Amino acid sequence: MQRITRREFVKRTAVTSAAFTSLPAILAACGTSTGTSNKPSKLVIAAVKGNEDAPLKKVVGKYKSETGITMEVVEFPYDQLFEKLVTTFQANGSSYDLCMMDDPWMPKFGTMGALQPLDSNFGFTRDSDIPTVVYDVGTWPPPHGPVPPTEQGKTQHLYGITIVGNVEMFMYRKDKSDAPKSWDDVLSNAAKYNAANFYGYVIRGKATNPVSSDSLPILWSFGGNIFDDNWKVQLDTPASIDAVTFLTRSLKKYAEPGAENTDAADRSRLMAIGQAYQSTVWPGEITDIVEDPSVSQVKGKVAYIPIPQGKSGKGLGMMGNWLLGIPKGSKNGSAAADFIKWMLKTDNMRNYVANGGIPIRKSILNDSSLASANPYFQALAQSFDAVPNWRPRTDQWNAVETSYGTAMNAAVAGQMSPQAAMQKAAGEIRTTMKAANYPS
Amino acid sequence: MSRLVAEIPAPTGTEPVRAGRRRRGRQERLAYMILLPALGTVFVIVTIPFVIAVFQSISSDDGTLIGLSNYGRALSNPLLYEALRATGFYALIVLPTEILLGLAFALLVHRTVRRPGLRATLYVLAVLPLVVPPVAVGVVARLIYAPGYGVLNYLLQSAGITHSEIQWLGVPILAMGSVATVDIWQWTPFVYLVLFAGLQTVPRESVEAAQVDGATWWTQFIYIELHYLWPLFLLILFFRTADVLRVFDHVFILTGGGPGTTTQLLSLYMYRIEFKFFDAGQAAALAVLVLVSISILYALVTRALPLERA
Repeated sequence: MQRITRREFVKRTAVTSAAFTSLPAILAACGTSTGTSNKPSKLVIAAVKGNEDAPLKKVVGKYKSETGITMEVVEFPYDQLFEKLVTTFQANGSSYDLCMMDDPWMPKFGTMGALQPLDSNFGFTRDSDIPTVVYDVGTWPPPHGPVPPTEQGKTQHLYGITIVGNVEMFMYRKDKSDAPKSWDDVLSNAAKYNAANFYGYVIRGKATNPVSSDSLPILWSFGGNIFDDNWKVQLDTPASIDAVTFLTRSLKKYAEPGAENTDAADRSRLMAIGQAYQSTVWPGEITDIVEDPSVSQVKGKVAYIPIPQGKSGKGLGMMGNWLLGIPKGSKNGSAAADFIKWMLKTDNMRNYVANGGIPIRKSILNDSSLASANPYFQALAQSFDAVPNWRPRTDQWNAVETSYGTAMNAAVAGQMSPQAAMQKAAGEIRTTMKAANYPS
Repeated sequence: MSRLVAEIPAPTGTEPVRAGRRRRGRQERLAYMILLPALGTVFVIVTIPFVIAVFQSISSDDGTLIGLSNYGRALSNPLLYEALRATGFYALIVLPTEILLGLAFALLVHRTVRRPGLRATLYVLAVLPLVVPPVAVGVVARLIYAPGYGVLNYLLQSAGITHSEIQWLGVPILAMGSVATVDIWQWTPFVYLVLFAGLQTVPRESVEAAQVDGATWWTQFIYIELHYLWPLFLLILFFRTADVLRVFDHVFILTGGGPGTTTQLLSLYMYRIEFKFFDAGQAAALAVLVLVSISILYALVTRALPLERA
């Protein structure tokens, strides 16, 4: 008997189930007209629900009026979107013509071969008005840094284009002090301005992704890292433990109570109601909360800068770009690519910005006429220029982030010492990477 | 035609028996036909996923059969035992509390509330928590316990009971207690409803006879009512234990398993293995192990239940 792979087994089961479940829809569709294959009447985008896709939803109406193509945005919460996409790609499903992807998902999708190449299939080329790192983050295998063992030697292709130019930055109350240049300045300002019901620093310490995102810029700026260039785990090195100790012990003294349960919305709320002095920040939090006059008491009092320097002498921000890609299973690849090209046009991106979008074009980020309405644009442009780090480009990133983010959460809660937490995370990550045939 | 007529058997004395069999055969076929949609649904949503899970649990990513290797990896992962410890601790908090509270409410209402209208109102109130989606319960609970804006801290401080915020979700023992209270709130009414129904089956004459003999509330409960409730306790214990192994939504929303792995219960751990580590083999092995454990538990409980006694 011919042996089938697990993927094939799951695929056949999914196809059989899909055939049964879609039978009524197929029968119902009989007798109705269908769109042409060249120009579909509708494209479906799988999107993350939140401030990341809100501007997208606002501009798709304009696309319909210009092209006649309806853009249906199907929203999922962050975790569920990833799971949905992975299972859809495993079955080579055609449910979505476009998908929004957080940039650390690119290794998983790249390794799976889940996306259609935008350069060779649809003629995408690099635009000098868009930072190089934006194209690099959508390229697989990665153009720099360590490459997963299974991906070495493969031809690089562009698989995703950023539509949310997120880079993690730093915010502080400019009405109280000058900009901190280093993390030492951050600590001394935290001590200086900490008071009853006013926290010197806000830690986004909730388990897994939140605390991982919050701590990685500090880890990197202190010379620590998760992996070296050969995929050797570095979390239990002195530099990494020093960085974690700085966040979970030194800064924690001036942090909000319940830091281990604080997520991005909680952090922005504390800034917006005037109960916090400084923290890291994502652009989406700025437009949605801190600078929104309907909810913020500190509009105009907060400044945004790139991540301050650490002991390594560098301040390294973190990429958190959201990209648009075209799933391999999509039958409307060409039309989907046209939509991405439409989104990248300067005029359309200006309209996108007017609707709260975060741009990637340097000309827009540096446009002084947009600065007052978007006070973080200059810092974002500087962050792109400084070439922010990306999270390690491994298909095991979700597992790595879960181990690291769980241990970090325990350290923030005071449940484990920084050293014990990092040793535990390092041990788990070594096991994970070894099982995935990485050198460890 | 004549040949057909010739083939028809002559009437015999067994005619009514055969007719009865035919009728029963038709009834059986009808019964199976009626059952078919339900059985088909169970086959699609239970049997097929279970077969896939068993297949995944004994195969590697490329489909090669690897025996019990995934089971070995699952059982040798130290995080599994952290999750089992957390689940056991959680069960030790919620199961006794729910059973004792549910019993207390059931006895109280059974013995003190006589008006049918009030009983019906209490019945509706008890059903309400059971029909609220667990996700909604988790979101509401987060508004109660959250640091910074949690209602509970606000009330405690407003009443002067505490002077600073209590980190309900940040301190390990409090975090476990907080997630357990949500379970207790939602599922104590289930225990109450089952036991209250059981109390209605206690023969009134037995109780009245005991009361004439001077039985107190306590002796009345121990020597009469408890005998009628005993099978229901086992039933409740079985259902609630199975539920504890599946608890996910409100814990995920409240703590995400934290701080650290303090509240990472078995279901969260399995979610983590499947959807964070994408280790389908190990996750499938865990799922099969849990299913087998629940099945054994079910077999033991049903043996202990005196349901079939004449």
